[in-house]
Amino acid sequence: MGLVDRGRLPAPLTTLFNLGRSYSLWVYQWGLACCAIEMGAAFGSPRYDVMRLGVIPLPASPRQADLVVISGTVTDKMAPSVKRLYEQMPEPKYVISMGSCANCGGPYWDSYSVTKGVDQIIPVDIYVPGCPPRPEALLEGIVLLQQRIKNEDMGARWRGEGTRARNAEPIVVGGGPIE
Amino acid sequence: MTDVKVNDMADRQKLSYIAAQAADARLNVELETEGMTLNIGPQHPATHGTLRIIVRLDGEQVIWAEPGAGYMHRGYEKLTEVRTFPQVTALVNRIDWLGSFANEVPFILAAEKLMDVEAPPRAQWIRTILFELSRIANVSLFLGDLGVQLGAITPVFMAFRDREYVLNLIESATGGRFHPNFDRIGGLKEDLPAGWITETKQVMKKLRNFCDEIDDLLFGNEIFQSRLRGIGVIPPEVAKQYGLSGANLRASGVDWDLRRDQKLPLAYDKVDFKVWTHPDGDSFARCWIRLQETREATKIVDQLLDGIPSGSVMAKVPRIIKVPEGEAWVSTENPLGEMGYYVVSKGDLGPFRVKIRSASFNNISIVPWVLRGVYVPDIISILASLYFILGDIDR
Amino acid sequence: MSDTPPQPEPTPELVHDTVREGVVSALRAALGDGLIDSVIKPNDDMWVRVSADVWQQTGRVLRDTVGCDYFCFLSAIDWLPSPYGRGEDDPTEPPPERDNTIKQGYAGGETRMQVFARVTNLSQHFGVTIKADVADVEPCVDSWVTVYAGANWHERECHEMFGIDFRGHPDLRNMYLPTDFEGHPLRKDFPLLARMVKPWPGIVDVELLPGDDTDDPAAEAEPT
Repeated sequence: MGLVDRGRLPAPLTTLFNLGRSYSLWVYQWGLACCAIEMGAAFGSPRYDVMRLGVIPLPASPRQADLVVISGTVTDKMAPSVKRLYEQMPEPKYVISMGSCANCGGPYWDSYSVTKGVDQIIPVDIYVPGCPPRPEALLEGIVLLQQRIKNEDMGARWRGEGTRARNAEPIVVGGGPIE
Repeated sequence: MTDVKVNDMADRQKLSYIAAQAADARLNVELETEGMTLNIGPQHPATHGTLRIIVRLDGEQVIWAEPGAGYMHRGYEKLTEVRTFPQVTALVNRIDWLGSFANEVPFILAAEKLMDVEAPPRAQWIRTILFELSRIANVSLFLGDLGVQLGAITPVFMAFRDREYVLNLIESATGGRFHPNFDRIGGLKEDLPAGWITETKQVMKKLRNFCDEIDDLLFGNEIFQSRLRGIGVIPPEVAKQYGLSGANLRASGVDWDLRRDQKLPLAYDKVDFKVWTHPDGDSFARCWIRLQETREATKIVDQLLDGIPSGSVMAKVPRIIKVPEGEAWVSTENPLGEMGYYVVSKGDLGPFRVKIRSASFNNISIVPWVLRGVYVPDIISILASLYFILGDIDR
Repeated sequence: MSDTPPQPEPTPELVHDTVREGVVSALRAALGDGLIDSVIKPNDDMWVRVSADVWQQTGRVLRDTVGCDYFCFLSAIDWLPSPYGRGEDDPTEPPPERDNTIKQGYAGGETRMQVFARVTNLSQHFGVTIKADVADVEPCVDSWVTVYAGANWHERECHEMFGIDFRGHPDLRNMYLPTDFEGHPLRKDFPLLARMVKPWPGIVDVELLPGDDTDDPAAEAEPT
């Protein structure tokens, strides 16, 4: 496929790939604190089932995951592990930061041992605010991510123009829909 | 249930470990093996959060184990010094994040003790009901997670399903599924909504069904029993020295329940409930007691619902609360064990120093002692039976 | 702004708490001068202050003679009022004058930091809070590990948070903080840096709201 080597991808192929990728995400749950329980309720409970969106919640290792949901407080002691696990994920990878502790430090913004937001360590695509956010909020975040993936420019990614989808700004759930 | 005395169990376990090591020792010498250091966590599906356990192994047996806590240390005790009392209440919800209301209660009771204010009877009853509901929410997830950690995946879905009913109740009363932030010094934030009492009674019936299901599915399973019986025996003297509390202490035969043995302005003296103990002190005893306690909690809630007194839910307290100078210690029987707050106040808007005595800190401090000589798969089952929440250990 | 007036304390002659007074006399018999002060709230709680030399012996007496075999917790209190107040100062302005007299709590004290612990007697349903002064420079006290095995972790946490040394502890490493953490966080002179960078916007408004003439909450509370 010489097109791909030259960094150009025809639109139908992009649409097909994006569609496939957005509906077959494997989520690696980085469940740290209280948000992990809401994430567990979203992923594992029969009421807020996430598998109906095509997202499968239990990959065996980060090397098989597309998406990581960081839920809970990230402390300075834990931060190197987060970075290491993020680096182990293969491209293309996405990050959802769930809960106010992961977004910005949350109720512990003035603590001496809390990292004020996981975006200080890894790039984040979707912020889901809440303390803890309802499972439906997390599902909305995943749906918004899926919409974004469908609009992604695969060629740009393979040309190496950044890991962010079209270098777009990260989305905050509850902040309005994207195109 | 066997009537084997704990000392016999502990001796039997010790002898079996020594025998296994002796059997391996000759082989180790012949093969010139060396020990291996295994690092479990901090990100691991089986630990309830970010607990790191470093074990040194000889073959399959543990020689030395050390939990590495601190991956969720958020500095609670320092943060309470710069917050006002209602802000601390909101913050303190997040220590034991599964049964959140239970964290607020001892802190509010300590502040009320310092202020010499007692909540009106209706508030006390509703506090007790919400306390027991948070216990049910907490322990039902424990029962589900217990299955997952031992390899049985189905119970956790049932646990989440039934927990949703309890969370709905808590949400309709307080506004938050988790972290209700409902307790106030002098009472509660507001009264119960209409129809809550009938709804709760139905949910209690559903939870009793859930307990029966888990009893059948998990506790009757012979794999479950053989994985947990006789494993991780903790004699009562050791348990008391380490300050184990809650179901862990009662599983070693010590009859101590803060709901019954302490006089607090909660409605426990108005209800009949049984305090479950077990003589064995092994992992099975700890899990079994928690199941019985969940059932007992549903019965307590039923009794309380029948007799809620009417009245206001808030005593007369000033709008901006300044708690007078003094020190107070209050501890309650939380879902995880004994949780207490030592509140030092200097007459300010917020506390001067709060020492948070969390149950899981003591429960996990026994891990280096209890994991010696244990096989690797039993590490997980012992940790599962001790039941900790990382926010509780690390505060 | 009036607080609810505290109820008058029952006069000591009328209320006797024989159990707790018995504990104090047992401690006095065993420790002699080591027992410095005690406060009993009848049928409620008790506080005892001992000198740091007999700290370990106090633990032993409580465990063996008084029967408090259940170890609850061990920690420390720093009585210095925080030089940063409640963390609400505006960093662009000079810090306000603050009162930094050290005033200890129940059962008194003479030093800035005190170690305190609590043990419980399960059969008679009471607990004892024991305090001891530690020196300001190089604070150090005997370890309780030989008395109550559970004190191991509590002393590690106390050491990293306050800098108090525990003689005889087998392994005094950091419990929560990374090994290269500098400072002792729970000391009052350890600042929370996030609060010092910019003024905190959420300062509690202590003025009354419009419409509130008095502090009487009966106007707002709605009885059911």
